[in-house]
Amino acid sequence: MRRAALEIAAVVLVAALAALGLPQVLELFALINATVFVSMAVLALSLGLIWGYGGILCFGQTAFFGLGGYAYAVAAINFGDTTLAVPLALAVPTVVAAALGYLMFYGRISDVYMGVITLTTTLILFKFANSTAGDEWNIGSAPLGGFNGIPGTPPLNWPFDPASQLAPEQIFVVAVVCLALCYAAARLILRTRFGRVAVAIRENELRAELLGYDVRLHKLALFAVGGLMAGLAGVLFANCVFVSPTMFSLSYAGQVIIWVLVGGLGTLLGPVIGCILIQFLTTRAGSFSAVDPNLLLGVVFMLAVVVVPKGLLPSARTALVRLAKRGGA
Amino acid sequence: MTVLLATEALVMRFGGVTAVDGVTLAVQEGELRCLIGPNGAGKSTFFKCLTGQYKPTSGRIFWRGRDITALDPFAVARLGVGIKTQVPSLFDGLTALEGVVLALRRQHGERESRHRAMQALERLQVAQLRDVRVGLLAHGQRQLVELAMVVAPEPDLIILDEPTAGMSAEETHRAADLIRELNREHAIVVVEHDMQFIRAIARTVTVFHQGRVLMEDAAERVFADPRVRDVYLGKAVA
Repeated sequence: MRRAALEIAAVVLVAALAALGLPQVLELFALINATVFVSMAVLALSLGLIWGYGGILCFGQTAFFGLGGYAYAVAAINFGDTTLAVPLALAVPTVVAAALGYLMFYGRISDVYMGVITLTTTLILFKFANSTAGDEWNIGSAPLGGFNGIPGTPPLNWPFDPASQLAPEQIFVVAVVCLALCYAAARLILRTRFGRVAVAIRENELRAELLGYDVRLHKLALFAVGGLMAGLAGVLFANCVFVSPTMFSLSYAGQVIIWVLVGGLGTLLGPVIGCILIQFLTTRAGSFSAVDPNLLLGVVFMLAVVVVPKGLLPSARTALVRLAKRGGA
Repeated sequence: MTVLLATEALVMRFGGVTAVDGVTLAVQEGELRCLIGPNGAGKSTFFKCLTGQYKPTSGRIFWRGRDITALDPFAVARLGVGIKTQVPSLFDGLTALEGVVLALRRQHGERESRHRAMQALERLQVAQLRDVRVGLLAHGQRQLVELAMVVAPEPDLIILDEPTAGMSAEETHRAADLIRELNREHAIVVVEHDMQFIRAIARTVTVFHQGRVLMEDAAERVFADPRVRDVYLGKAVA
C-alpha cells in the first residue's frame, strides 16, 4: 500500500514538473512532439491495463484510438465547439469496445482468436478510413478525407467558448494531466474489488468463475475501460497532429504492443516509460535519417526480449532490490 | 430431509460417445455422498455437468427443486455450491490469503473477508502460508489452500473432484478427517476413485459404470457387492 502511494506521488510530481517545465524549455515543434508522445503514452497505458492486468491481448487497441480521434474531429467540425465533441469522442470507442467485447467474451472466444479479431477490426477500419475520399463520405460538414484524413481537425477550446482555442503549450498541459489522471484511474480501478477480480481472472479464469464471478462481464467492462482510455489518447493525438487512417494502421497497432512489452507487462508505469523512450529513440533516428526508424524499433524490441524479458520497469525494480540487499548486508 | 441437488435422466454426449447416460441421482441436505467408478466411467463429465461447465445433452438438474440445467458455473456457485476441481485451480500469482479473500469478497466487505479468510486458512492448518504466492506451494499445500477457498464462503454443498489426487498417504489421511469434519456443516459430494479413501469417509456410495449408475447403497454393501469388484477389475458386468 505504501509503495502504491509512493508511486502515485512520484507520478503526480513528474507530471507537474513536465506540465510546468517543458513548455518553458522546449521549442514549439519539440513541444508538439512531446504532446504526441504523451498521447501515445495514454494509448500504451490503456493496453497495459487490459493486457497486463486483465490478460486480454488486444492486438487492435488502435481501433479505439482511431475511433476516438475521428469521432472528435467529425463532432468538433460539426458542432463548431469541442466541449461536447470530447464526451462524444470518448463514448464512441467505449461503445464499440463494449460491443466487440460482448461478441468476443460472451462468445467465449479463446485468447489467440481475440488477438486476430481485434487486429482485423483495426485493419478493417484502416481500409475503410482510407477509402473515404470523395464528397459522398462527408458526415455533416466534416469530410472524412480518405487517405489524407481530416487535416483541419480543430484544437480544443475552452468549454462553451469556441473562440478561445487552446495554444499548443496548453494542449501539452492537458495531455499530461490526462495521462496522470488515466494512470491514477487505473491504479484506483485495480484497488477495487472489480480490479482484483479482473487480475484473478487473468490468473485463473475457471477459478474466478467457480467462486461465483461472472468472468465475461468483468472482461467486457475492463475492455470497455481500455477502449475509453484509447479513445482519449486519440482525442489528444488529434489535437497535436490531425486524424488520418494511420491511426488504425498495422504499424501503430504493432508498436503499442512493443511499448508495453519493452516497458513491462503487468505494470502501469512500464508501458508509459516504454512508449516515451522508444518514441524518443525512433524520432531521433528518423530526424538524423541515419537509421530506418522501423529497423531501430525491431532492434530495440529484440534486445529487450533478450536482455530484459520482463520489461524495463520490472527488471529495474529487481536490480534495485538486489542492490539494496547487498548494501544492507 | 430436503433434497439439495438432484439430476433427472442426465445425458451428456460428445459426438458418438455417450459419457453420461441417463443418470438420476439425489443428494440430501447434510449428506456425504461418494461417486465412484473406474476411469472412464463418466464421473468427471457428470461433475462438469453439475457445475455448469458442460451443458448436458438432455435431462435436467435441480437445486432445491429449481431447474438449474442451463446455468453457467458462476451462477451455480452463487447458489451456494463450493467447487473444487481435480487439478488444483488457484490464482498462482496471488498469495494464499489474497485468493481466499477473493472467494469471500462477493458476499462480504474487505475487513470481514480478511477475517473469515484467516479463519478458513487456520481451519485447514495452512495459516502460516498466508503471504506465500500460491504458485510456489507444493501440491498438497495447493490442495489445502484451494479447499480453504471453497470452504470459506460456507457453501451449502461442496463438490470435490478427486480431492486426494497426487496426495501422499499421510495427506490423504488428513484429507479424510477433514472431509468428515466439513460434513458436520456442509453437504458434500466427492468424486473419487481411490477406494481406500472412500472406505475412510463414505456413508452412501453411487457407483458409476459406463456412464450409468451401476448401484447406489450404503458403503459397506457397495464394497461387498461382487459387481463393484468386477467393474474395478475391468471385468464385464452383466
